[in-house]
Amino acid sequence: MRSIRTILAIAFAGSTALALAACGSSSSEPSTKATGASLVSTPGYPSPATESLGGKRGGTLEVLQESDFEHLDPGTTYAALDYPVVFATQRPLYSNKPNSTEPTPDMAAGPPEISANNKTITVHIKEGIHFSPPVNREVTSEDVAYAIERGANPDVANPYLKTYFNSLEGINQADGGPIKGIETPNKHEIVFHLDEAKGFFVAEALVLPLTAAVPKEYAEKYDKNKPSNYAAYEVATGPYMLKNDAEGKVLGIGYVPGKSATLVRNPNWNPKTDFRPAYLNEIDIKIGGSEPVIDRQVLEGTTIVQNEPVPQSGVRLAAEHYKSQMDISPGGGNRYVALDNKVGPFANIDLRKAVWAALDRVALNKERGGEVVSTVATHFLYPTINGFEQAGGLKGPAGPQFDYNEHPEGDMAIAEKYIKLAGYPSGKYTGTQTVQVVGASSPPEKEDAEVVNQTLKNLGFNTKLTLVEVSTMYAKYCGVPKEEIDVCPDVGWVADFADPQTVLDVTFAGKSIEPVGNVNFGQVDNPKINRAIAAAEVVQGKEARGKAWAKIDDELVEDAAAVPFDWEKTARLEGKDVHGVAMLWNEGAWDYSFTSLK
Amino acid sequence: MSRRDLAGAPSTSEPLLRVEELYVEFPTEDGVVHAVDGITYQVLPGRTLGIVGESGSGKTVASLTTLGLTRRQGARISGRILFAGQDLVTLPEDRLRAIRGNDIAMIFQDPLSSLHPLYKVGAQLIEAVRAHRDVPKARARERAIELLALVGIPDPARRVDEYPHEFSGGMRQRAMIAMALANEPKLLIADEPTTALDVTVQAQILALMERLQRELGMAIVIITHDLGVVAEMADDIAVMYAGRIIETASAARLFAAPEHPYTWGLLRSIPRLDGPRAADLVPIPGTPPSLIHRPTGCHFHPRCPYAQPDHARIDPALEPTPDEPSHYVACLLSAQVRRGLWRELAAGRTPAQALEAVGQPGAPA
Amino acid sequence: MIRYIIQRLLWGVVLLIVLAVLIFILFRVLPTANPALLRAGRDPQPKLVKEIEVVLGLNKSLPVQCWDYLKEIFLHFDFGYSYYSQESVRSLIAEDLPETLSLTVGAGVLWIVAGLSVGIVSALRRHSFLDRALMGGALVAISAPEFWLGLVFLFLFASDIGKFKIFPGAGSYVGLTSDPWKWFTSLIMPWIVLASGSAAVFARLMRGSLSETMNEDYIRTARAKGLKERDVVRQGVRAAINPIVTLFGLEVGVLLGGAILVEVVFDIPGIGELFYKAIQTSDFPVTQGTVLLGSMFIIIANIVVDVGYAYLDPRVRYS
Repeated sequence: MRSIRTILAIAFAGSTALALAACGSSSSEPSTKATGASLVSTPGYPSPATESLGGKRGGTLEVLQESDFEHLDPGTTYAALDYPVVFATQRPLYSNKPNSTEPTPDMAAGPPEISANNKTITVHIKEGIHFSPPVNREVTSEDVAYAIERGANPDVANPYLKTYFNSLEGINQADGGPIKGIETPNKHEIVFHLDEAKGFFVAEALVLPLTAAVPKEYAEKYDKNKPSNYAAYEVATGPYMLKNDAEGKVLGIGYVPGKSATLVRNPNWNPKTDFRPAYLNEIDIKIGGSEPVIDRQVLEGTTIVQNEPVPQSGVRLAAEHYKSQMDISPGGGNRYVALDNKVGPFANIDLRKAVWAALDRVALNKERGGEVVSTVATHFLYPTINGFEQAGGLKGPAGPQFDYNEHPEGDMAIAEKYIKLAGYPSGKYTGTQTVQVVGASSPPEKEDAEVVNQTLKNLGFNTKLTLVEVSTMYAKYCGVPKEEIDVCPDVGWVADFADPQTVLDVTFAGKSIEPVGNVNFGQVDNPKINRAIAAAEVVQGKEARGKAWAKIDDELVEDAAAVPFDWEKTARLEGKDVHGVAMLWNEGAWDYSFTSLK
Repeated sequence: MSRRDLAGAPSTSEPLLRVEELYVEFPTEDGVVHAVDGITYQVLPGRTLGIVGESGSGKTVASLTTLGLTRRQGARISGRILFAGQDLVTLPEDRLRAIRGNDIAMIFQDPLSSLHPLYKVGAQLIEAVRAHRDVPKARARERAIELLALVGIPDPARRVDEYPHEFSGGMRQRAMIAMALANEPKLLIADEPTTALDVTVQAQILALMERLQRELGMAIVIITHDLGVVAEMADDIAVMYAGRIIETASAARLFAAPEHPYTWGLLRSIPRLDGPRAADLVPIPGTPPSLIHRPTGCHFHPRCPYAQPDHARIDPALEPTPDEPSHYVACLLSAQVRRGLWRELAAGRTPAQALEAVGQPGAPA
Repeated sequence: MIRYIIQRLLWGVVLLIVLAVLIFILFRVLPTANPALLRAGRDPQPKLVKEIEVVLGLNKSLPVQCWDYLKEIFLHFDFGYSYYSQESVRSLIAEDLPETLSLTVGAGVLWIVAGLSVGIVSALRRHSFLDRALMGGALVAISAPEFWLGLVFLFLFASDIGKFKIFPGAGSYVGLTSDPWKWFTSLIMPWIVLASGSAAVFARLMRGSLSETMNEDYIRTARAKGLKERDVVRQGVRAAINPIVTLFGLEVGVLLGGAILVEVVFDIPGIGELFYKAIQTSDFPVTQGTVLLGSMFIIIANIVVDVGYAYLDPRVRYS
């Protein structure tokens, strides 16, 4: 059902297992060919790299989605479901072509210029890009600056600003007004000044929708409201815009909460400045209904798609009868069993290793649909993320110390060995503590929780299993360290962009532990790993970063900080007459700017 | 709107209703219920026939069958019921329906449950009228008020808009009678009309019925277990037991010279104002027999104080008495013995004493 | 009679207040997430969460929140603003009310008509094959959950995904004023799905009640009067309805509950779907508002039934 995980994945340079089309040349021509087979694409299904482009121009695409959008304001958005609309209408400084995790200059005229001391980033802005009606004027660097600055406005509260831009000068005093570290020497140049040598990393973060231009004189009256309702009046820079009236009002017209959204062509969009082909004339999104019905309506339909992760039943249906209408995308993130490293029995590393050894990860993946949509995980970085191969690729890190990782179906003998090492000579846990397990109540998370619970019982633990709604699971139990939940059997993470730091930092660094909304679910606070993380944050260059973070990944495996079990692939469905093009970097969601009708 | 021709006088001998060899059986899970076991009787125009018997004697079933009201219950009916030249047993439903509430009307024991509680009394009367005559509602309403007045209900114009539960018991029965009379039936069947009423009201209702009979010249069949009622009203009486008529005679004759031990039992079990104060009531011992498994031979023999051994084998037929051809009785004892026994019983003797006095214990006639 | 009605209405208001408090407590006590947290987005900073709590009024103590909430509703008819979309709950409900009314009123009519007819036919032909078939079907209809039944109907009869493409599929609802024919055809399946359980219950009860009634003395009298059988049955039905009329008030509640799921399956943009989504996002003002609205309808339905009962049964009037 609904996932609140973020889904923004971008990789600088394609040194990942998934061979990607190099889209080195500048703006317009979208890349099409796959170079080399992918280790994690699924045989028999169109993999994103081989999807051919180019249907006819024109037509209206119908989209069915069960859930409503969370945030369409580029300054607040982060959910996978919001991105197809956001990225069809907003142009950040850099963005991704659908079949790629390599950023392409979008609003920017060229690659970022990073100073030698890694503390200054200069970006040139393209000329001739205009806002949609009713603003109409040309976009300037000040608009980009405002877009980022408003993220610090508590009534906008961008979720990434303090995480990725915390080295920006003056960020700590920022509250919506000008930020010292953002400079606009002229209308088409923007310069970022950092007080730490993190330029390379921050430049990678410029793909976030936060950097999509927002016209200050138009938006500031909306940003004054608590919370800001700029989204109700937002303007666009991309090929499409949310339908609005003469005053710019979107709410009730281009977006009717709970009911529909309508994207029409942005009359001020200049195709010469953009790599997007924008075949469709209109995209009509209908919100509501229920998954099983939507899946069938799409598969039986013609110019219609759905744009949410397809559950198992839908995958099965499509696999049996509508193979050509299903797209399966890797890079959907990882899933792991979080174990409380701080308090309770699993503060003991050997017990953690025992759980790892005993867990039948193959069974867990079967629950989710098997090979088609999931891959058994052996470490934390997942395919399409820089560093995946260096961390051991599919097999994971090698060595005798990783014996508990060798048998994905589970190996009780090895598990018993570790339990004995933990001080229980019988090979079964005989301690008195009851283990609290909190999982989600909807399938397949429910089944996952039950498998994990049973594994714990087999190891001798007394467990108390609680199943709640998934958002409650995160917000009330697993994300609150005070609750001291020992096992959260089904948590996961998707990168914000393809730099491995975004996968491992907030999830496993000691400093990332928060009292509420905590995503370091296991309260992992290993000093050695913390030091390695701090060092890796400032490493420059793709290759080097991949290597550094791969090492951290392996150290996490050695520490059995959590038990990874799944590298997700996500499925999407399209109607018969749709040439769907999927966003590889956004869990395979359909990219409206590249999709066309047959 | 009333008939003048048959007021009061004894009518011609052409029977209005003639029931011949009527059998009514109900198949049930426990066996076949022989509710009516071959009865024959007739009703003359303008006269009153009383049918007397205990509950379970078949008296009600016989009357319901006349109007075809047992057809729905899965009854197996044989015999003939002749009315106005038609056999009601075989008459199709729609033709029979034209007779119900029109030429033949029926009133029932409990007027509270027999009137629909949720419709006004007037509406129910109007319905009875319009079921058979095509009159406008306003006219039917006038007729309803007329009828209520006819049966002696005060302030009928107001009463016509009231509900049955707003009437007293006696008034309700009057209203039922009014409803039955709506279309001036030739025959009124009254099933226990006074049983649910107080004694004083009973008398009023019976008087009312008699008056209406005189005014409208209709025949009445009155069904009851109460001999006092038939003594009052009936010209002729038929006594039923276990689904059969076991004695029938004119009312005067039956009370003066009953010939069946069951009838004696009925008469002797009523307190009489003019009897000896110290005389005991003599109830009939035992209970009525099951209509599924009836006694062999004479159906009354298990309860008869005067039964002889072969009465358990031989089933008596209904035959005329020697000295009065219109008086029929079904008994195996000789007429002589019977008269002797009655003489004793009428004098106040107990059945055992009477038997001894007549002197023939065990000897048939 | 007037006094009685006024009495019942006043009592209804008291009941609503009590319900409002109970609803408030219920939604605070359930293990849902703090809505401020959910709105704070990814990686919420505690400071931000606190600020949102202030905006939403969640920082005040529970009794104070409850008191504010009651005041707003009963004095100003203000149900607050959705945590999710900031729209006023009252306007959200008003917007979606016509759809839900279309669905529930239509289903209500079908429920009564179908229940009545099936019940009467079954009672009159007791133990026949038709009776057994109808009652068997009724049992299935009662047991089948609306969501499942709705899916079955769609997979069988929907024009887009069904085996036999007869009725418009999910999501094809349009307002009555824009296209009456489409409005009607898109509601046929939802009406059947929603009404089936209640109609089946009604049919079974009607069958029992009418069977008993037809054995009453006054039915015998009606026949003895020479009435056509059809009129006799009408009298029977009139009497048979009374004992089950009180059921109506209760079934309205079941109908409203079922409407939620039916709206979701058939994608009808009514209050049911609104409520469903509000639960998923811990949008208290919306959930509270819709539950309260539903309660109000049920209370009104029960008052109507109670008052109607006095009209239906004259024996009850003067007590």
